Amino acid sequence: MVPGIFKQRLLKGLMWGLALVVAFLILFPLWWIFVSSITPAGELFSKPIRYWPRHPTLESYRYLIEHAGLLSKIGSTAVIVGLSILIGMVVSVMAAFAFARFRSKGLSIAVAFLLASMLIPDVVTARPLYDFLRSVHLYDTYTGLIVLYISGILPFTILILQNYLNDIPVSIEESASIDGCGFFQSLFYVTLPLLRPALATVCIVNFITCLNNFFTPLFYSNGISVLSTAITQLPLRDNMYAVPWDLVSAMGWIIILPILVFVAIFQKQIMEGIMAGGVKG
Amino acid sequence: MYASKKYLTVAWILVLPALLIRIFTTIYPIIETFRISFFDVKLLRGTNEFVGLQNYIDLFGDSKMLTSLSFTAIFVIGSMAGHLVLGIALALILNMKFAGQKMLRTIVLLPWAMPMVVIAMASKWAFNNDYGLVNDFIRWFAPSFQLDWLIHTNTARFAVIAVDLWKDIPFFAILILAGLQFISSDIYEAAKIDGAGAVRSFFRLTLPLLAKSILVLSIFFTMWRITSFDVVYAMTSGGPGESTALIAYRVTTEAFTNLNTGYAASIAIVLFLVMAVLSGISMSATKRVDY
Repeated sequence: MVPGIFKQRLLKGLMWGLALVVAFLILFPLWWIFVSSITPAGELFSKPIRYWPRHPTLESYRYLIEHAGLLSKIGSTAVIVGLSILIGMVVSVMAAFAFARFRSKGLSIAVAFLLASMLIPDVVTARPLYDFLRSVHLYDTYTGLIVLYISGILPFTILILQNYLNDIPVSIEESASIDGCGFFQSLFYVTLPLLRPALATVCIVNFITCLNNFFTPLFYSNGISVLSTAITQLPLRDNMYAVPWDLVSAMGWIIILPILVFVAIFQKQIMEGIMAGGVKG
Repeated sequence: MYASKKYLTVAWILVLPALLIRIFTTIYPIIETFRISFFDVKLLRGTNEFVGLQNYIDLFGDSKMLTSLSFTAIFVIGSMAGHLVLGIALALILNMKFAGQKMLRTIVLLPWAMPMVVIAMASKWAFNNDYGLVNDFIRWFAPSFQLDWLIHTNTARFAVIAVDLWKDIPFFAILILAGLQFISSDIYEAAKIDGAGAVRSFFRLTLPLLAKSILVLSIFFTMWRITSFDVVYAMTSGGPGESTALIAYRVTTEAFTNLNTGYAASIAIVLFLVMAVLSGISMSATKRVDY
């Protein structure tokens, strides 16, 4: 039937059009931020906006490195995010394993408690937590920040790993123990390797979560500055514009670029991670 | 194999680090918030006395608080309406088979992966009348358009909601997409044979089958909206006036800027109770609504 085919083509064309609109709406602002970051400050305030810079310059990036301590911020971010993910994973695997393999009333309560604690919003606990961290001298320390970052990723990570572990039959560990494996041996050599895909997925999602954590470094640190808060702490220059837009866009792009690359590489795992967390959580 | 008493001790040792971290970062502080919400703690004046429910009573007469509450309500409702309509539409697009579909799914992940602060800072610039992206875009269609979005109450509120939608709709769509992929295509085949068109099968099949995940997702997204903080922090600082001071933003300004700790704690507790009620609804919804 000719009309049927025509209708199908029309539908396909429409879908294509809509897909392009969506892609444009997402990508164009990112392009604009990029262009703003390589446009000289003076040219930035030109009308109409030029979406292709006439005199591209890396001046803003150089300024960030020389005057805004960009490299040390990248260093702090790497240390905090790296250690948080690493330690967070170890702590989560331990807990998830216990929750998936052992049954007792106390443990059920502990799981319920962990999940319920997800409901407590950051803002609700901010002030007492701030005072507490000061009193134990963990405010503005790497240790303090790392503990808070870990805390942020724990519930989600435990939930996903536990779901995954539930699908791995206990009999595999049992047969390992019959073959002479001890408890920890079977955990390390049998269970963990099976858990690898889930670990990778959770790691990737946690990386984004930690990188984007804004609330924690904003309220619980002052001297230690990470990339996500750096964009609000740029040095003001005395001109008519209160906010140094060239620096803001450069800093924004420095944060966005690795994320673009990362998402492009790990698209599949990120999608799986989000879906597993979203649908079951 | 793991049933014996000896192993139960091992289990608790394994769980302990996670439990301790969560207790110190969430449970202890929320109990403390609850306690100080009954005190008049003003760090600037050094007051610290028990006032019972006075902080809670003050909430009702505080015009700033009422503005925050009303904007939070507008923000949640506006944002969720956008999520439901545009998010489901986007999910349907992502579920279609066409060349470039994989590429589009990757692109759609980007807003989710980017920090809200970066987006909010860029938006502040994007909504500038003279040099911003938004008006430049509008001027392609209406060359004489002039509007400074962030200095008027209504347009600033609209801008905040728009930014929130840009950042979060793709994420919502991905989660809806997950639900869509669980629906087997056989059902649509059968509906087609029975003579149902695309629109009809969307409203009669897709939506009802997705009802449960849409409901649960909506509750979760509502909860995230209620605690939204960084978008207004970086974009409007709650302004103009107090018109975009979301409730979560209000809590932090009371607690960290005005140093009105007791009062901030009482707002925080109200916020927490709202979250608790919503999650209760969410849990019973997960259990009851089924297809």
